[in-house]
Amino acid sequence: MDILVLVKQVPDTEAIIRAQSDTELDIENKYSLNFFDEFAVEEALRIKEKLGSGKVAVITLGSKKAVDALRRGIAMGADEAFQIEDPALEEIDGYATAKTLAKFIESQGYDVILCGKQAIDDDSGAVGPALAQFLGIPYLTSIVELKIAADKKEARAAREIEGGTEIITCPLPALFTAQKGLNEPRIPQVAGVMKAMKAQIQKFDLKALGLSPEDIRPKTKILKFYPPGKRPPVKMIEEEFPKNVEVLVKILREQEKAI
Amino acid sequence: MDFAFTEEQEFFRQTVRDTIDRMIMPKVQELDEGEEFSFELWHEFAKLGYLGIRHPEEYGGMNIDVISQMIFYEELFRGDVGFAMTVTMQILMGTYFIGRFGTEEIKQKVLVPAIKGEKIGTICFTEDQSGSDLAGTRTTAVLEGDEWVINGTKMWITNAPTCNFCTVLATTDPSQGIKALNFFLVEEDMPGFSRGQQLKKLGSRSSVTGELVFDNVRVPKDYFLGEELGKGVQYAGEILNEVRVMTGLAACAIAKMAMDDAREYANRRITFGNPISKYQLIRSKFANFWAWYESARWYCYRCAWMIQQGLPCLTECMLAKMFATEMCLSAVDEATRIYGGNAFAMEYPSQRYFRDARFLLYGGGCHEVLQDYLGRIYLKED
Amino acid sequence: MAGIWIFVEQRDGAIRKVSMELLSGGKELASTLGEDMAAVLLGYQVGPMAEKLAKCADRVYVIDDPLFQYYSADSYGESLANMVHTYDPSVLLGGSTFMGRDLFPWLASRLATGYAADCTDITIGDDKGIIAKRPMYGGKVLADVVFPQARPQMATVRSNVFPLKSLEEAARGEIIHIEPKEDSSTIRTKVERAEKKATGKVDLTEADIVVAAGRGIKGPENFHIIEELAEVLNATVGTTRAVVDNQWRDHNDQIGKSGKIISPKLYMAFGISGAIHHTMGIDTSKVIVAVDKKPNALIFDYADYGIVGDLFQIVPALTAEFKKALSE
Repeated sequence: MDILVLVKQVPDTEAIIRAQSDTELDIENKYSLNFFDEFAVEEALRIKEKLGSGKVAVITLGSKKAVDALRRGIAMGADEAFQIEDPALEEIDGYATAKTLAKFIESQGYDVILCGKQAIDDDSGAVGPALAQFLGIPYLTSIVELKIAADKKEARAAREIEGGTEIITCPLPALFTAQKGLNEPRIPQVAGVMKAMKAQIQKFDLKALGLSPEDIRPKTKILKFYPPGKRPPVKMIEEEFPKNVEVLVKILREQEKAI
Repeated sequence: MDFAFTEEQEFFRQTVRDTIDRMIMPKVQELDEGEEFSFELWHEFAKLGYLGIRHPEEYGGMNIDVISQMIFYEELFRGDVGFAMTVTMQILMGTYFIGRFGTEEIKQKVLVPAIKGEKIGTICFTEDQSGSDLAGTRTTAVLEGDEWVINGTKMWITNAPTCNFCTVLATTDPSQGIKALNFFLVEEDMPGFSRGQQLKKLGSRSSVTGELVFDNVRVPKDYFLGEELGKGVQYAGEILNEVRVMTGLAACAIAKMAMDDAREYANRRITFGNPISKYQLIRSKFANFWAWYESARWYCYRCAWMIQQGLPCLTECMLAKMFATEMCLSAVDEATRIYGGNAFAMEYPSQRYFRDARFLLYGGGCHEVLQDYLGRIYLKED
Repeated sequence: MAGIWIFVEQRDGAIRKVSMELLSGGKELASTLGEDMAAVLLGYQVGPMAEKLAKCADRVYVIDDPLFQYYSADSYGESLANMVHTYDPSVLLGGSTFMGRDLFPWLASRLATGYAADCTDITIGDDKGIIAKRPMYGGKVLADVVFPQARPQMATVRSNVFPLKSLEEAARGEIIHIEPKEDSSTIRTKVERAEKKATGKVDLTEADIVVAAGRGIKGPENFHIIEELAEVLNATVGTTRAVVDNQWRDHNDQIGKSGKIISPKLYMAFGISGAIHHTMGIDTSKVIVAVDKKPNALIFDYADYGIVGDLFQIVPALTAEFKKALSE
């Protein structure tokens, strides 16, 4: 069974990010593998381990920093790593990303594609479904459980929905996006880390994929970035208990009309 | 001159940091307050293979470069200091002599399980009348037939309550001073080996420390760890460089944690209508710390590079350890001042850094001895 | 033909609140643009809902077919793609729900058009195109997204962005029934069953009021005081990652980066320190109240009102006080 995992290096949740100008962000240099992608890598490794055979490849689209996402995948246990890098890919949207990935993946054999339910940078969650569309394969998003049938032709997954889950089956090959709860990602062993430090990353540019910058023109454009509106400073209710409770209820009802 | 980490080393640091963040950070307070060694955490951590980073592959090690080892120690000490002490004891002093001089049989019996974390090791230098003054060592080893007979009591032994084996410094001829000091392997199941009381400590409380007693412990002849007798101090000196740089980077890590934490506090604590970080006297604390921290840290890595290159660097490593430690002790003190009265409350972390940092003074040679020695060198005394 | 389309999401015979909000907002956008607004309703046995929608929208496109009982991109997506090709709307909006965020990116790529996810506002620009405002990097930055050429302009929008207005007085719209081209063989993903958590409560993402407790609650056995407060306020109960990681509550209840992003009218946090993972999920709440023991707790930076105190004392008192106030 061949499993492809899409990974992305993103600013850490703790990183400071500010809008520097309308079109530029100032991002603190703290990056890590996208939170949700870890579940995807882990699930791929578990499928392979359970079946006792197969290959897990990690794929990323991006420049130098992106390599660390691949290294993390290898440190966890992935067998191969592919990087798609091209200056034309710097400013693209989910549509163009999915189209580029699709072009690369068409040339690869695969049974299962996994990725995080969204990257915690642009928070769109668009690439997974869009990629499945380009490849013409079924997909399930936000899965919290995945079982591959013994004949490797079908999968059964639990997908998160509001207030519960849906149990769904679909034929393979298929794409799944991972939600928290799917598994507990492993911490890499030092042997894996050493392997990752020395790993050969296979690189492809647009030309190698037979694409031109025209093919991946984004469909959306960011007009401007700006900081979120600051909340007014907190008003501490300083009265002693139980007076403070009365004051709060009064404010919420009369002033805020929230209740 | 190239003074940068490689991309691979940066990745290694990132991975170790992430590991410590996930595995140890959430438990730091609990570990400190528990004052017990966590076997659960130990085994969980050992599975990742880091205990083998400086040993050869054929015994399950990774044999990675010295700079990367130091990166590992620095990141490790961001987490729980007690746990980090147990880990570094296992990697460095606890297994060094065995890895270097042990017979194949000893390595299979002791080193291989130590790298897997199945056995815990330690080193025994200190006695009630000797520590940095090794010449005062009174534990004796006497050859009787095919066995060495060891007698003495060792104090302040990290991992004493938990160790499965230990490397013991003993004199083979008390009249010869440091020229007769040698190292011997002792295992916990040998008759005459016993443990004294576990010490209650000010800091690094999740590592356990205590006494070990050797009462006519008979060890096989080849449990002497060395090529020839009388070179014990020289051998110890050869690993002490690594221990000192490790200690220096531990100091850097603790200092940085304390000040980063104090930064959060300073940005949030309001007095006279402003966060205290707006006041110049508070800002100056961060500026001063920053300069000292960077100097100490990069000097430590310079020493690590010298070790890696095989250059002689005994005095450099002493300077690095001493300087980094003093920097750290000052930083953890400044951090408590930023915290004001809250530094006195056990619920805030600043007191923990303050306590934990104290161990740095004693590991790798106490500062008064180092200062005396380094002063002598600088003055070109004989 | 142009027009604003609202993808109306229904499950189990009920229209989602966010869809009704979008119809309210869509109506205004449509009048600004001088265009029509249509509702698109897919499902099985949705007749009564279509009737209801006809009172709110200028047109209602309906597919009512057994194959559409459960959502799948293979059915919903393919049909919507065909409908868009036929009628050519300029804007297509849906709720930022699990379904919306599953369907829209697939459909957008199928239609070779742009898509903005999880928006917190939709406005009209000078060029009559829409401007989709959306948080990025967990809300640290906002971005205005535009769609230079491709149509329709597609976006999913959070709950509580557009105020719910009564639209029922509007003229009766036309219901247009569409025959699906799909048959059961083209639908590859098959829903075996849905497992609902029997809370009977509105989902966190749609709730008007959310009350949550963090590690300060000390154990799962103490959550009843939060439940009791929620009961009085008709609120939904949420929690933090630390609590879920300790297995005190189900992941479904988790608010934050790795849980749910909420934007209620009132959010009350008890014993929650305010780690960034959590605050990223509450940023767009209208009013935030925080109660914590530590005066320096980060959560107070995000709150509108704060009380330093013991939640075990304050929560029951709040429950009693609200009960009293609401019965007056």
